[in-house]
Amino acid sequence: MASKSSVEIITEWDIVAARQLGRNEAKALGFGTVDQARITTAISELARNIYLYANIGRIEIERVDTETEKKIVVTATDQGPGIHDIRKVMEEGYSTSGGVGAGLPGVKRLMDSLEVQSVIGEGTTIRAEKWLR
Amino acid sequence: MDVTIHFKEIDHKLYGYVEGEIDTFTASGLREELEAVKITEGLEIELDLSKVSYMDSTGLGIFVAFYKRAVREKGKVKLVGLSNRLQRLFEITGLSDLMDIETDKKVELR
Amino acid sequence: MAALGREKMKQLEAQYKKILADYIVNQTEKNLYIAQNFTRQLIQKNISPEDVISIHKNAIAEIFPDRMNEAQPAYDFLIEVMVHYGMAHREHQSLLQKQAEYEMEMKIATSIQKALLKTHIPKLSTVDIGMLSVPARKMNGDYVHFFYHRDDYLSVAVTDVVGKGVPAALCMSMVKYGLETLEYAYKEPSYVLEVINRVIEKGVDDSMFVSMFYGCLDTQRNMFSYASAGHEPALHYNAKQDQFVALEAKGLLLGVLPNTKYTYQEVILEDNDIITMMTDGVTEFRGNDHLNSRQIITSVIRDNKYLSAQQLCQLLYREIEKIHGFDLSDDFTVVILKK
Repeated sequence: MASKSSVEIITEWDIVAARQLGRNEAKALGFGTVDQARITTAISELARNIYLYANIGRIEIERVDTETEKKIVVTATDQGPGIHDIRKVMEEGYSTSGGVGAGLPGVKRLMDSLEVQSVIGEGTTIRAEKWLR
Repeated sequence: MDVTIHFKEIDHKLYGYVEGEIDTFTASGLREELEAVKITEGLEIELDLSKVSYMDSTGLGIFVAFYKRAVREKGKVKLVGLSNRLQRLFEITGLSDLMDIETDKKVELR
Repeated sequence: MAALGREKMKQLEAQYKKILADYIVNQTEKNLYIAQNFTRQLIQKNISPEDVISIHKNAIAEIFPDRMNEAQPAYDFLIEVMVHYGMAHREHQSLLQKQAEYEMEMKIATSIQKALLKTHIPKLSTVDIGMLSVPARKMNGDYVHFFYHRDDYLSVAVTDVVGKGVPAALCMSMVKYGLETLEYAYKEPSYVLEVINRVIEKGVDDSMFVSMFYGCLDTQRNMFSYASAGHEPALHYNAKQDQFVALEAKGLLLGVLPNTKYTYQEVILEDNDIITMMTDGVTEFRGNDHLNSRQIITSVIRDNKYLSAQQLCQLLYREIEKIHGFDLSDDFTVVILKK
């Protein structure tokens, strides 16, 4: 079974809505308190980047619950300026400079995987997964 | 102490008023402001340095870079209101022969 | 931490619960020491702060099951806070680490520069030579280069790169290698400046340039020929007349225009005459505008003209350092030649 739902990020309060959605899905799948907090914090960071640097975007949360795989997939999409040097934003210590890629190393540590795709002038898609073990 | 610059455009002529101390630490801000100036062919730019209380060689470098760009892009740069100290700095460095420099200009249009 | 399996985590929780329970009953220093050792294990296994709180929460839930109703939300709250705090803390740590790396590289670069731009002061029987160069920061933007041929010729280049620190040091290496390619042409000041100007003009950006005073002493003819590229004039102390003359030689800074021409001047040096060459770190008195730097320099030299050239350099540095309150804001370089 897989279910998808999403939140548009336009105002700061949409960040809260995205967090809530993420927490509900994580809980429903069976994540413990600590991992719920990690997933929610990661979503919060991604949503905040959209709100601060891309103005408009969307957080999509997918709950995958099959025999072989149980995971939460968070996808953050925006039509912002894009990231020039993805390798650089994945470097520890870079994030304080701000921008859509801010804090990604931290998000990666909270989750189990992180993928970034970005086209300058068109936008950025960030996909992060957390697996239930 | 910092350095500021503000611009005024009067009759297609650009006037820049620089104020403060220009040294290694304050120079980068001024450099960025000057780099942002769009120079079109024939544009006359006058930079008023009468309120510059100190300038070291880094500051000099910024004006040289700006002057060189203006020459490339066919604009004209003139420095006015230089104090005796600044005047001497431009003389020692040979820049007063190269650039259009005017000392102690009566400051008008302010 | 996420990689730590459920089983391992359960083991840690059991250990922690026992240590905590023992402490609650006995509250001895020994209990706390055991806790400390356990903490070491947590760090080794890379357990995050939020996991530690979770371990603690679960232990409390088992030790005091009836209290958990009230305490649970507070623990969950702390876990939330710790997730974010841990993330920010780690970020901060990695910035500190990065800074330490930069400092290390800077240290290495500084020592390379020192080795690269080390000036060897020649000893000639015909002229007494003194030189002192003190950087304001870690890297020196001033550089002095000597050439000599037996006791007959001595040339000196006193250079100052605009700006300070790493960019200035990089540019200076270029000047040094430019000078070294001159070989036998070092006796012609205007030619030297023209060559170095081309080297710099090609190699650096618009706002990077160098000032240089170049002088060559022919000890057979007692002739000092000199040229300047936007540099502070040198001072000539004429011993017979007890007078100072500024050796002005107009010339544009190096690196501004590609085909700049330079002219040179000549002056006869008599016995006991002194030539003082310097950078603007010697003459610039920022914030002490009322002081006349030239007057200070000339009176130090006149009053101590019997000292050796090197002693004069040291003394001049001490005097000027004093005026600046022992906090020089620019690289300080002086070269003194005494006939």
